[in-house]
Amino acid sequence: MAGETAAVSMTVNGKPITANVDPRTLLVQLLREHLRLTGTHVGCDTSQCGACVVQVNGKAIKSCTVLALQLQGADVLTIEGLAPADGPLHPMQEAFRENHGLQCGFCTPGMIMTAVDIVRRKGHDLDDRTIREELEGNICRCTGYHNIVKAIAAGARAMRGGGAAAKAAE
Amino acid sequence: MAMTMNGEYELPVPPQTVWEKLNDAATLKACIPGCEQLDKTSDTEFQAVATVKIGPVKAKFKGKVALSDLDPPNGYKISGQGDGGVAGFAKGGATVRLTPKNGGTLLSYNVDAQIGGKLAQLGQRLVNGAAKKVADDFFANFANAVKAG
Amino acid sequence: MSATGIGAAVRRKEDRRFITGTGHYTDDINRPGQAYAYFLRSPHAHATIKSIDIKAASKMPGVLAVLTGAELAADQIGNLICGWMIHSKDGSPMKMAAHPALANGKACHVGDPIAVVVAETLAQARDAAEKIAVDYAALPAVADPAAAQKAGAPSIHDIAPNNTIYQWHLGDGKAVDAAFRSAKHVTKLDIINNRLVPNAIEPRAAIGEYDAGVGTFTLWNTTQNPHVARLVIAAFVGMAPEHKLRVIAPDVGGGFGSKIFIYPEEVVALWASKRVGRPVKWVADRSEAFVADAHGRDHVTHAEMAFDQEGKILGLRAKTIANLGAYMSTFSSSVPTYLYATLLSGQYEIPQIYCEVDAVYTNTVPVDAYRGAGRPEATFVVERLVEVGAREMGQDPAELRRKNFIKKFPHQTPVIMAYDAGDYNASLKKALELADHKGFGKRKRESARNGKLRGLGFSTYIEACGIAPSQAVGSLGAGVGLWESAEVRVNPTGSVEVLTGSHAHGQGHETTFAQLVSERLGIPIDNISVVHGDTDKVQFGMGTYGSRSGAVGMSAIAKALDKIEAKAKKVAAHMLEAAEGDIEFKDGKFSVAGTDKSAAWGDVTLNAYIAHKFSGQELEPGLKEGAFYDPTNFTFPAGCHICEVEVDPETGNTDIVAWTAVDDFGVIVNPMIVEGQVHGGIAQGVGQALCEGAVYDKDGQLVTGSFMDYCMPRADHLPALRVDTTMTKCPSNPLGIKGCGEAGAIAAPAAVINAITDAIGSEGLTMPATPHVVWAALQKANSIPKAA
Ligand code: FES
Ligand code: FES
Repeated sequence: MAGETAAVSMTVNGKPITANVDPRTLLVQLLREHLRLTGTHVGCDTSQCGACVVQVNGKAIKSCTVLALQLQGADVLTIEGLAPADGPLHPMQEAFRENHGLQCGFCTPGMIMTAVDIVRRKGHDLDDRTIREELEGNICRCTGYHNIVKAIAAGARAMRGGGAAAKAAE
Repeated sequence: MAMTMNGEYELPVPPQTVWEKLNDAATLKACIPGCEQLDKTSDTEFQAVATVKIGPVKAKFKGKVALSDLDPPNGYKISGQGDGGVAGFAKGGATVRLTPKNGGTLLSYNVDAQIGGKLAQLGQRLVNGAAKKVADDFFANFANAVKAG
Repeated sequence: MSATGIGAAVRRKEDRRFITGTGHYTDDINRPGQAYAYFLRSPHAHATIKSIDIKAASKMPGVLAVLTGAELAADQIGNLICGWMIHSKDGSPMKMAAHPALANGKACHVGDPIAVVVAETLAQARDAAEKIAVDYAALPAVADPAAAQKAGAPSIHDIAPNNTIYQWHLGDGKAVDAAFRSAKHVTKLDIINNRLVPNAIEPRAAIGEYDAGVGTFTLWNTTQNPHVARLVIAAFVGMAPEHKLRVIAPDVGGGFGSKIFIYPEEVVALWASKRVGRPVKWVADRSEAFVADAHGRDHVTHAEMAFDQEGKILGLRAKTIANLGAYMSTFSSSVPTYLYATLLSGQYEIPQIYCEVDAVYTNTVPVDAYRGAGRPEATFVVERLVEVGAREMGQDPAELRRKNFIKKFPHQTPVIMAYDAGDYNASLKKALELADHKGFGKRKRESARNGKLRGLGFSTYIEACGIAPSQAVGSLGAGVGLWESAEVRVNPTGSVEVLTGSHAHGQGHETTFAQLVSERLGIPIDNISVVHGDTDKVQFGMGTYGSRSGAVGMSAIAKALDKIEAKAKKVAAHMLEAAEGDIEFKDGKFSVAGTDKSAAWGDVTLNAYIAHKFSGQELEPGLKEGAFYDPTNFTFPAGCHICEVEVDPETGNTDIVAWTAVDDFGVIVNPMIVEGQVHGGIAQGVGQALCEGAVYDKDGQLVTGSFMDYCMPRADHLPALRVDTTMTKCPSNPLGIKGCGEAGAIAAPAAVINAITDAIGSEGLTMPATPHVVWAALQKANSIPKAA
């Protein structure tokens, strides 16, 4: 209920933050409403769509499924922190643009954050089947996935090369 | 959406004892899972508040419970209708039959229940299981209460 | 072709903000002092509202207002409307029932908004809504369109006896009957076109803000057509005069039709903002979206096709019951009529067609246009009839199609449409090659060795897009004209702003529209910006749907560019001291014919503004032109999709193993974007065919109301898609564009079902063809092959 708040501290995109939140606050609400990081989206209320995927301590999670208070001391990376502002794009971001892996863009931040995690877990040479299976938790209603799959394969290859932004995100 | 289920329990006490318990608000309250309040408003009516969780939806139901088709000590129909606020509504009933068996009682029940609104929308795959659990829990609790005297 | 002109696969200008999380969708916008709205919705499909007690809710912490239909009526807020008049066969007008933004005395579907709470925080609003006590008297409900007209069905609106909205028809019934009498073979099908939920991943949202000082409203809204929203909310709902209402559609996260319509929530957000004196924000959660966003399709059809002994089609007749839900949504009436029956000729020469459509009310969410809108339903009818007819007559499905293709253009069908151009054989031929049709038999045998049933299905579809010539649609009942507007503003330094009445929610207009300007003016694409989605910036527009933005929206821009060029030539003539008629404009340079005198684009634009080289009395300074473009005809994209499936006879599971699409979209501005549109459309069509279906139980409860229960295609439901094109230029607009946004969704369902029925050798399939449905059909056909 309003009034009853608790403090939580964590690192978000490299910056330490502290917020007083209602205990019911989800991570995605903390990001969007308290920190105004609106790149992380909400597409459902049953943890099915993946529009809200961010990284916590280096692993992708659906930010609509964790309470902010559970993440005391955690290191959170959102789409806004994937590449330095005004710097070069992360290779995965670049690959989505280059391969037309997005249309309305609403699922895109979650897709890109998931994609980076797929590369972390599965390496740089990803075949079509693997990518499609790994996208089980992300829904895109616009693209038919064809170009997303292409983008992730290309982004994974490009991440091998490193690139400043990719290093920063790792 | 609607669902039905049934079951039976053997109780080591005669039907008359079971019947009395079935009409006792305190026993019912203790046995209805999640029941927070059960106030008698007449001989056959109660005002009830219960919290139920079905899948991702948790709702506090406020409503009426009524007893009908009273046939002491052979059984009755207990029906309820609850308003779960933004979660929707639930209504349903159970026909309870008591038959003497081996000096004790065979309690058999037929439940039909209906839910609406968000509960039906989100809970449909889970609702049968949840409703069955509510019914099972109730009759299991009740059997224990009867055994405990 | 220049690197950024028409035909180039230019990477999208809008992408940077989306891939960096810096887009601005409605929910990303927060207004100072904003409060939050939460709607209490009916859990009953049909109920009388005996009373609403808001006392306890009003006293909850943070609550600013609790409002119901009574206050709405007291403030004289008007009802929502359906803007397309359809008349029944007997000449009577459609029966449009009152649709208040908050229910007044009666709830007609699960999700019907009953009351709204406005509070300091969303959590407070939701908590307070729990305290509203509504006393409902539940009424019997009907959800199935086929049951709605039957005797004894509950009556939903007094104005519509038997729940019938209209009984409409098109074509010559007697002539069709005569054609059927002379037929050698008649194919008959009963078809259910399953009800779908559009489910754009961005849920709908609205922020209403009232400025008491000047008496103006602003609405930020997830809409595909901000000007139409403003017009309806001003003229019909009566919220404010049109000039005192600004509608802004910021980045919109997909629409597929569902964000065309004017919904209760945006009306209430505006109204409540005036009531509480604060901006009011509403964002749908997904469960809410399932019962608040218009659904699509939901037809029950009986259709028949008559053939002569050679397999030439003699006639088609269809009788459809269309479910429009509990209220008539904005364009709902046009979908099962003029967007459906007019396409029943498909790509074929069919001498006679007759179609009857009954539209009915049911206790379900309103149904309106969803990607394709009427045309997928028509295509499914025609392409299933042809395929089944071919099998029944023992003919090759491709050959039967070819035999019946329209070959001469223009072609007048018996159902209004006059096709302007096309080459259906070309797309079929190319698709057969790309799909390696010849090798299918071998692949089928291979599958059989693995215990799988392989099938191949066609869909040679047509659609009518580029919606639409205003006079023509006016004569058919449309309440609006369907032209488009554009304004091209050239700055003194030569950069360009294009203001368009179209709106993008994924289509990439910021790129494609700029490509047209880059091509025409010869300037870099980065010097062009496209402005849309704000009624204060763009004077008027009809929005984006019906694959109209290329054919109609860009044609308006082209027309404005013609005017810009003409005016700039005048300026250049003064600068170059030449006759206006001698000025040539090419690649961004003005030159005097036959001389080496020239002026660059930037010089001319600067001179247009400084006006030193000409008299301001002879020629107005400045460089800005507007245009309204009204198309001369619909456009007719068409093509051939071939789907190849493998069915597991043990489980009934269908695997789509290959997809080939060859479409004729006329001139293509950006092939990369067009391919993306085709991919997305196919995915939605495959969704309809294999897994999507909004299911209501007999009490009118929606039992597929979440992403857990309503299955949309995920990445592993789909194969890589082979997408190609053929081209006949569209003669009906200056750019030759036909449109591409809906093709996949229109073509795909029939291709999938035709492929599965080919695989299992049984026609008895309903959509969605889930493993269970396919397995049951297989059992019925008893066609499980012995393991090889
Ligand atoms: S919003 Fe988190 S999974 Fe949909
Ligand atoms: S790009 Fe629109 S949902 Fe994926």
